[in-house]
Amino acid sequence: MSLNDRERFQLRGALQEAVLKCSERCLYQSAKWAAELLNSIPEVDISSLDSSQLRDDRGYASAVMASAVLAPNTDPEEAVLEARDIGRYLLAKSLFDCREYDRCAAVFLPEATLTGIISPRDTSATTPKGKGKGKATVGTSKPNNGQTIPKISQRSLFLALYAKFLSGEKRKDEDAEMVMGPQDLGTCKNKQLTTVSRVLEAWFESRKTEDGDFVDGQGWLEYLYGMILAKEKNDELALYWLVRSVHLFPMNWGCWLEMSALITRVDDLNRVMSRVPEHIVSFMFHIYTSLELYQHDANLASSLDKLLYIFPSSSFLLTCNALLSYHAKDLVAAEQNFSHLLSVHPYRLDSLDHYSNILYVMNARPKLAFLAHLCSNVDKFRPESCVVIGNYYSLLSLHEKAVQYFRRALTLDRACLSAWTLMGHEYVELKNTHAAIESYRRAVDVNRRDYRAWYGLGQTYEVLEMHAYALWYYKKAAGLRPWDGKMWMAVGSCLQRMGRNQDGIKALKRALLADSYYEAGNSLEGAADSMRGDPEILLQIAGMYDNLGEFENAKAYMEMCVAQEIGSPGESQSESITIHHDSPGGDSDDGGDGASRGAGTEGTGVTAATSKARMWLARFAMRTEDYATANRLANELCQDGVEVEEAKALIREVRSRMESGGPGAS
Amino acid sequence: MSRFLNPAKIGLLALIELYTNKTVPTSAILDVLSFITSHLIDNDISSSALSSSDRWRRAERTVSLVISISDFEKVLTPHTAASGIPGRNLWYVFVQKLWKIDSLHALHDFFDNCSTLLAKTKEELRRDAEMGIPSPAPDIIQLSRNSPFGAFVRRSQLEFTRLRFHDAIELWKGFVKYRQTTAAYYRKKTPAFQRLSFDDVLLTGEREWGPAVEALASVAYGDMLRDDPNATMPVSTDDIEKLLEFQIDQMQKYGNRIPLEIRHQFHDLVMDSYMVPSLSHYLSYLEAWRAGDYATSFDYLHRYFDYTMQNRDRSFYQYALMNLAVLQADFGCHKEAIAAMLETVSTARENRDLTCLNFALNWLFHFGRAHPEVTKELESKSQLGTGKESLAFLRSRAKETGTWSLWSSALMSEAKMCLSNGESVATALEHLVRSSQILVERNMKGMVGSQLSINIALWDRLGVTYLSATTCEVFLQCHARHSIFDDELKVTSRQASMLALKGKYDEALEKLERLDADSLRAWKPSQYWHKFRGIIKLRRDLHHNNLDGAELLLSQLLQSKADDLEPDIAFVIDTLHVDCLVRRGNIEVAFTKVEKMVAELRDENKDIALRVRLLLLKAELLDKCGRPQKAFTIVVRAANIAWRARLIPYLWPAIGAIANILSSLGEFEPAIELLHAVLPRSLECENSAMTARLYSHLGDANVGLAGRMPPKSNKRREYLMKGVDAIEKAFNHYSSVEDINKQCEMMAKKATIMKVAQDYVLANDYASVYLDLRKAAAQLKI
Repeated sequence: MSLNDRERFQLRGALQEAVLKCSERCLYQSAKWAAELLNSIPEVDISSLDSSQLRDDRGYASAVMASAVLAPNTDPEEAVLEARDIGRYLLAKSLFDCREYDRCAAVFLPEATLTGIISPRDTSATTPKGKGKGKATVGTSKPNNGQTIPKISQRSLFLALYAKFLSGEKRKDEDAEMVMGPQDLGTCKNKQLTTVSRVLEAWFESRKTEDGDFVDGQGWLEYLYGMILAKEKNDELALYWLVRSVHLFPMNWGCWLEMSALITRVDDLNRVMSRVPEHIVSFMFHIYTSLELYQHDANLASSLDKLLYIFPSSSFLLTCNALLSYHAKDLVAAEQNFSHLLSVHPYRLDSLDHYSNILYVMNARPKLAFLAHLCSNVDKFRPESCVVIGNYYSLLSLHEKAVQYFRRALTLDRACLSAWTLMGHEYVELKNTHAAIESYRRAVDVNRRDYRAWYGLGQTYEVLEMHAYALWYYKKAAGLRPWDGKMWMAVGSCLQRMGRNQDGIKALKRALLADSYYEAGNSLEGAADSMRGDPEILLQIAGMYDNLGEFENAKAYMEMCVAQEIGSPGESQSESITIHHDSPGGDSDDGGDGASRGAGTEGTGVTAATSKARMWLARFAMRTEDYATANRLANELCQDGVEVEEAKALIREVRSRMESGGPGAS
Repeated sequence: MSRFLNPAKIGLLALIELYTNKTVPTSAILDVLSFITSHLIDNDISSSALSSSDRWRRAERTVSLVISISDFEKVLTPHTAASGIPGRNLWYVFVQKLWKIDSLHALHDFFDNCSTLLAKTKEELRRDAEMGIPSPAPDIIQLSRNSPFGAFVRRSQLEFTRLRFHDAIELWKGFVKYRQTTAAYYRKKTPAFQRLSFDDVLLTGEREWGPAVEALASVAYGDMLRDDPNATMPVSTDDIEKLLEFQIDQMQKYGNRIPLEIRHQFHDLVMDSYMVPSLSHYLSYLEAWRAGDYATSFDYLHRYFDYTMQNRDRSFYQYALMNLAVLQADFGCHKEAIAAMLETVSTARENRDLTCLNFALNWLFHFGRAHPEVTKELESKSQLGTGKESLAFLRSRAKETGTWSLWSSALMSEAKMCLSNGESVATALEHLVRSSQILVERNMKGMVGSQLSINIALWDRLGVTYLSATTCEVFLQCHARHSIFDDELKVTSRQASMLALKGKYDEALEKLERLDADSLRAWKPSQYWHKFRGIIKLRRDLHHNNLDGAELLLSQLLQSKADDLEPDIAFVIDTLHVDCLVRRGNIEVAFTKVEKMVAELRDENKDIALRVRLLLLKAELLDKCGRPQKAFTIVVRAANIAWRARLIPYLWPAIGAIANILSSLGEFEPAIELLHAVLPRSLECENSAMTARLYSHLGDANVGLAGRMPPKSNKRREYLMKGVDAIEKAFNHYSSVEDINKQCEMMAKKATIMKVAQDYVLANDYASVYLDLRKAAAQLKI
């Protein structure tokens, strides 16, 4: 996907325009994103293009050359409108920049106008009489009753409505008061949502053509409408409008983000991808959303590489790259990617919370401390900084302080997903299950794709011995991460506790499969039959077979479990650290566990699980009167120094049996 | 910066760790431990050996430790390490230890590991025993939890946990900077050392990041890497508070100002402190007060109480008022002072603050004694009652509440009152002994000054100059360093004035010069000091008959007399003024001045000794006019009072004056008898001028007696010789105080007597000596 100079030039022009348009509409984050992207394209020598070429493309050339403060509008009608209310627009924009949202909205849409637009509909909808002017049916009625929307440019309308919406958001946050306080139950609503959506509805109605189609706007109002519909949980309709918006103006990253928030499964993503325009941003959207869905495969990597070729130093794409490695459980690569990103953009705090998660899992304490130091120096009141610091404290087992910093992150931004989840983990550590459940619940409410929160919920309920509940959450988590053994193991254990051994065995086998899927270099077939895995899981499966009375199966698994001590020589090529937990619950023994399993190819050595398996096998041999085996196993146990007393007792028993039964047998 | 921790404290912790690891060799243990302890424990036990300049060394030490690491270097460099590479000294080991803290995380670990230094609690031991962990070997040094070191380690740990992350970073950055000065040294000894060794993450990251590491370092460490000259110093609030308390304590204890250098350093620290305690306003107030800057000190006092009031309702209001009153009084605003102090009394009553109330009453009493004109109108209506009663009241209250200082000061006041009223010396002595007992029992070193001052005055009044001089010496040698500078100054000037009376002017001036210049920076003591020097010089000038110089000095001294708060000095200046007038021959003016002073004294009911002295002065003036008989009643009264009050130094001149009158009446024999009785005792007083005068009276009487004898008889000759002898002695005494006029007079007398005795050769000799003296006097004048 290499571009020639001309295309690159066009891209620059488009991005420039996007930055201007987004900042005109006070969509700061989108503007930042576009500007970052713009600056990651390598510089083109303008003089190398001949002038005739430039003359051909007046449009983009002027966009490139002119450093316009306001982007010109291509629609003549809109341009006239914009020219007419430029003064008021500038006032509104200044007010917006000063965060006086209500006043900003009132510049174009005073309260009287708003009620005029909204209320008559209400009366016509509620009173059966109606006025005859407009039909009572909501969907098709034209807002010719009451006041119509003032004739202003779409830009102004967008700004006014967006300001209204933000003022509602602000009020909502203020009403919620303290994080996890008595008011903060997630029940506070943005009270401006209905107003804004009514106005937008009316506006779109007014632009409806005869054949029930909508006249294309500029894309921005569609975006706002989609966003509002999404807030109202009207997902399908929201998606429809957002897709419309990206068709009209594809460079609005905020719009893509909204879409990505609405997509909860890969199928959805594929369906949406067919509806969106073929554009460079849609590739980015695809990558981003796939990552949000914890996808990682070769296609994704290759398309990311292609994009990186165009934008070699784009921090956004580099972040995606790092996250890709992270999801592929290649922590070292992810760490390196993030580290590189950090050195290129030392002041950039975005997504460093992911980096801190990686460092946490890698137990890289000095580096995490340094990162926290850096973030705190850049801006200690950014949610990302607080999360990084919280993670560091969590690693130091200072859970109270960690909670304090996560709370601060949430005070700064209530939608900070990772902070909710991580705070849940900390509450688990503090044995405050009630708060932990609430935190996880809030995380899930913010983003339903966060498997760690689901898993955490499951874990917490398991602690409370509410297995049926826990199972449901574990299943949710496993649904989000079907190739993650840990999820399946949790499901399996839960099922075992509930006495559903058959199902439990299935789940655990799946866990084994998932684990080996990673270890064998992501190829399912090769790993399946070698049946290497966590001795714990094997022991558990065996235990369940035992409970079911299927002793042969149990024995087979027990033997497999014992066999893990030696490991399979064929696979001894070391894969460095390929097994990592990004476990919720922040198990403190993560490091040690990971290390012992990292050496898995050379065998685990004697562990508690294998010893238990051996003991079981010895007992089983006793029962089946295979005294020689029993004796050998018991002796091995004695050598290993685990449960020596019991093993010695066993040996004594074997001897006595052999002595008593020996003559008879021989 | 943080509340408690700063890089210097990390250094101390590291040193403690070295000690517990037994890296410190046996020979160095004492040095190292005393170094650490001196920074952990507040009170300095070794203070008895401290001179006034050493007193501030503690503050200097604290400041310099905070500012730079070199203090550690000084202590540690001379010692070798007990383990590790041979030849490396303890300083290297210490620096190495510090450089091993090579990242923010290492700092967290460092504090985490501090708990291993501590002895385990019973709880922990029990738990360990359950877990099967053996208890530590007995030869391992473990800090007991409540020892100074243990407490310090625990407090440091606690404070570190309390730090917010941002503060922890600040501490870390401060530490990196603090340590950076040792980089050059450490680089020499450690080959692996690199530029980025201060942060391990950066060092290892250099490989990965390449040149971008610079950018990262500058983001993380900010301007710290660029040797910023106005960078802040890593000072903790704890240091500031410690320093503040120390300084205020010093100022209140010794009454002197802060040395300039320390003040500058402290100012720098306060500028960099994260939080400035309101106590610093109090320090500024004290400083301004001592500097004699009324407006500023007033402003700061109000500011201090404004900042402290808010969090503790009115409960400290009385102290604010009390400070205000003392300040006002010190700057001569007596009316305001009285008003403020009366309000203090009522507020203290309201708040039931007995200590404050007692102090206020005590102060009011003393103030009333010193400035009766201000308190006069109060006396009738106020709740104070008369002096005696209120003293008795105070004493009993002090006994009840156990405020020893108040008790002893009440006793001293009573003694003082006894003396000044001319009551029984024995009673006064009894009070003194009782107060002295309290002082010794309660070890109140600060009060010894005033106790001994009264002692000195007592011996003076009893005419045992030797004892009072000894007492002065004892105070200066033994007690001066514990007491407030004012006492030292007063005793020294007392000593100087004794020397001046003996005519040892240079020695006296030298004594004054030798006082601590730094302490003299305070406004009031320096005023006093200047005045006292002026008085000694004035006395010398008068004796040298250098009247122009004397008048110049007098004019300076007299103009500030109005706000002079020491009635004694005022009186001395007045008498010297009279003396000057007499020498000018302006006896009439001198007489009116004395009359005025007498009238003033009578009104104010002041010290009885002053009255006697005024009476004597008056008699002398009359004598000068050639009307000695007119002074008879005056002199007899003076002698009577002096005898009753045992005012020995004034009794003898009174007797001398009587003898003089007797001689003038022609009653030479009783005059000689009186003088013979008096003279040996007067020698004890070591007041040369007085003795000389007595001798000259004796000479006069003898010569008078010779006049009665038949001419050319042996008797006559004998008396003439006796007269010459006496006059010779008078001359000697006069010359020891360098009183030119009197010397000439005596010489002239001698010459005349010789002439009468028809020993013309000697008469001629004496005459020529007389002329020489005149010439010398003329030279002295220039």
